[in-house]
Amino acid sequence: MNGWVGTILRVDLAAKTIKKEPLNLKDARDYVGGRGLGTKYFCDEVDPKVEPLSPENKLIFMSGPLTGTGAASAGRYEVVAKAPLTGTIGAANSGGYFGPELKYAGYDGIIFENSSDSPVYLYINDDIVEIRDANNLWGKTVNEATDMLNGECGESFKVSCIGPTGENGCLFSGIINDKHRAAGRGGLGAVMGSKKLKALAVRGTGSVNVARPEKFMDAIVDARAKLKAHPVGGAGLPAYGSNVLVNIINESGGLPVSNWRDGAYFPDAAAIGGESLAEKYLVKNKGCFGCSISCARVTRVPDGPFKSSGEGPEYEAAWAYGADCGVSDLAAICKANFLCNEYGMDPITLGSTIACAMELSEMGAIPESDIGFKLKFGDPQAIVDLTEAVGKNEGFGKILALGSYRLAEKYGHPELSMSVKKQEMPAYDARAIQGIGLEYATSNRGGCHVRGYVISPEVLGVPFKVDPLVTEGKAGLLKLFQDLTALIDSLGICLFTTFGLGLPEIASQYREAIGSNESDEEILLKGERIWNLEKHFNIAAGVEKDTLPPRLLREKLPEGAAEGRVSELYEMLSEYYELRGWDNEGVPTPDKVEALGIKL
Amino acid sequence: MKIKFFATYRDITKCKEIDISATPDIRALFNLLSDNYGTRMREKLYTPDGQGIGEDAIILVNGRNVLHMGGLDSALKDSDIVSVFPLVAGG
Repeated sequence: MNGWVGTILRVDLAAKTIKKEPLNLKDARDYVGGRGLGTKYFCDEVDPKVEPLSPENKLIFMSGPLTGTGAASAGRYEVVAKAPLTGTIGAANSGGYFGPELKYAGYDGIIFENSSDSPVYLYINDDIVEIRDANNLWGKTVNEATDMLNGECGESFKVSCIGPTGENGCLFSGIINDKHRAAGRGGLGAVMGSKKLKALAVRGTGSVNVARPEKFMDAIVDARAKLKAHPVGGAGLPAYGSNVLVNIINESGGLPVSNWRDGAYFPDAAAIGGESLAEKYLVKNKGCFGCSISCARVTRVPDGPFKSSGEGPEYEAAWAYGADCGVSDLAAICKANFLCNEYGMDPITLGSTIACAMELSEMGAIPESDIGFKLKFGDPQAIVDLTEAVGKNEGFGKILALGSYRLAEKYGHPELSMSVKKQEMPAYDARAIQGIGLEYATSNRGGCHVRGYVISPEVLGVPFKVDPLVTEGKAGLLKLFQDLTALIDSLGICLFTTFGLGLPEIASQYREAIGSNESDEEILLKGERIWNLEKHFNIAAGVEKDTLPPRLLREKLPEGAAEGRVSELYEMLSEYYELRGWDNEGVPTPDKVEALGIKL
Repeated sequence: MKIKFFATYRDITKCKEIDISATPDIRALFNLLSDNYGTRMREKLYTPDGQGIGEDAIILVNGRNVLHMGGLDSALKDSDIVSVFPLVAGG
């Protein structure tokens, strides 16, 4: 076996059985691995109407054929389940070192079925796989649980686990590996918690074979050189991390302020951006497996009321707790972000949910007695205290733990949840950057930027520049980005490689690893197949239609380069459906499904 | 006219922003900045042939990328804010 290692673990947490079964190689060739193959297994085995936190939902960990190889930035694995936040197919991926270790132990993926009646963790030491008691780990934070497992199993084990919020059913709890890398979005941590599965601890001593070693070496040397030579992968990201984006998005008039209520230019943006982080709190850079970029930030707030240390914040977290909450205190943002990692939560959703609560509170829709204090925009202590409250499942934190949609609905204003399909949109205003609005509306996991990151061409000019204010051409551009991203997420490589690599370099690494002679276009088609399968699942699950919050469609931006603009979503959506070969309602046609070889 | 420098440009300018009298257009501004800050600035702002905007330069005037205005010929006035970024990305 080349690329893939050939074995799937099937773990029944109720019956406490573990089976090793051969990888379905035909499906692997059609759906690649990671996000695609995980979704294929999931759709074949689970009813789309399943209740996400019931034992019948399955939880799948899946690596890709490039995970753990020498391909550029190939350290990723995907987690797939029906997502409790959105009710969509849930798929979130993460870097670090866990994914490669799983493959070195001999497994492409793990399918968890049913639920345990008491806390457990999965122990994998090459061929030895055991379901072990985790009563002592239950209630522990990510750092505590990881340290305890490394103490119990050995320092060389890689740990992926949930924090207390996953145990408590927080709808945006994530799964965290290597302490700081997260499969963060959609609430997959709550699925893991509902199964009473606290963690996986993995050690592998094997390796991953590739089909054509010499050609593979040529392909990865070429890819790595291009990544390193590119200004983004070689200089910008290593120097400042993803948070370097705060200033350019803000200067472009696209950084949403105060729950997207007060336009998209934050006067204090410079205080929360990557340059300030590097100046004030950066300790060192850190990289994931096999990555030359090293975009992660090890950071420390050395003193003051928010004294703390950890990793991050990434751009999205800095925005969610910063501009979106009207907060310009970077120390408070760092601490809130560290707490998210500790308790195992998605900071995009939590920061946005707090922002939504701030708006509801300021307009008098939430009684002060429900929160416990007068909540308003710009309060740094509030973002830290409320994050702690969600982490500990206390007081108003129990309501925030449901995300902004359920919060806003409870207090009579669902339209003020800045979410799509109940998942909060990230840090780019769709009124100033038209294509990203189409991405938010059509993303198969709800409000999300990394399903089709058209910010690259619209704002940054990578790999080419298009005008963010126009709608023309955005449908085709987004479709290409979404299909390519589905492929990348399935190969087990980092999306950031696209800041330097294109389809030819990515396809070449795949071909030489598995021994395929498929063309670039045939390989890209796998991404389109994956996208359509996800869409099919969502339709069968009864997920709501593709749209944006009314604020983006009606309230004009007050200033900046996009002054007076709203999202022109419906100028793009019908063309997008047409290019996808879907009907007017956004449903894949039978002809399209057949052409892609999808067996439903 | 205010010129704001970000990220790796600050390594060259050693400051975050400057106020100057407006130059007629972006080309004249690039020449002024190159004269003030030297070869490294010129190499980042211009393409190697000196005829275009360099790969490692994103230039916004009042938030609008000059590539969607007049490129190097984009006219400037005293009330403009020009933001100078290297090629950055993240997300």
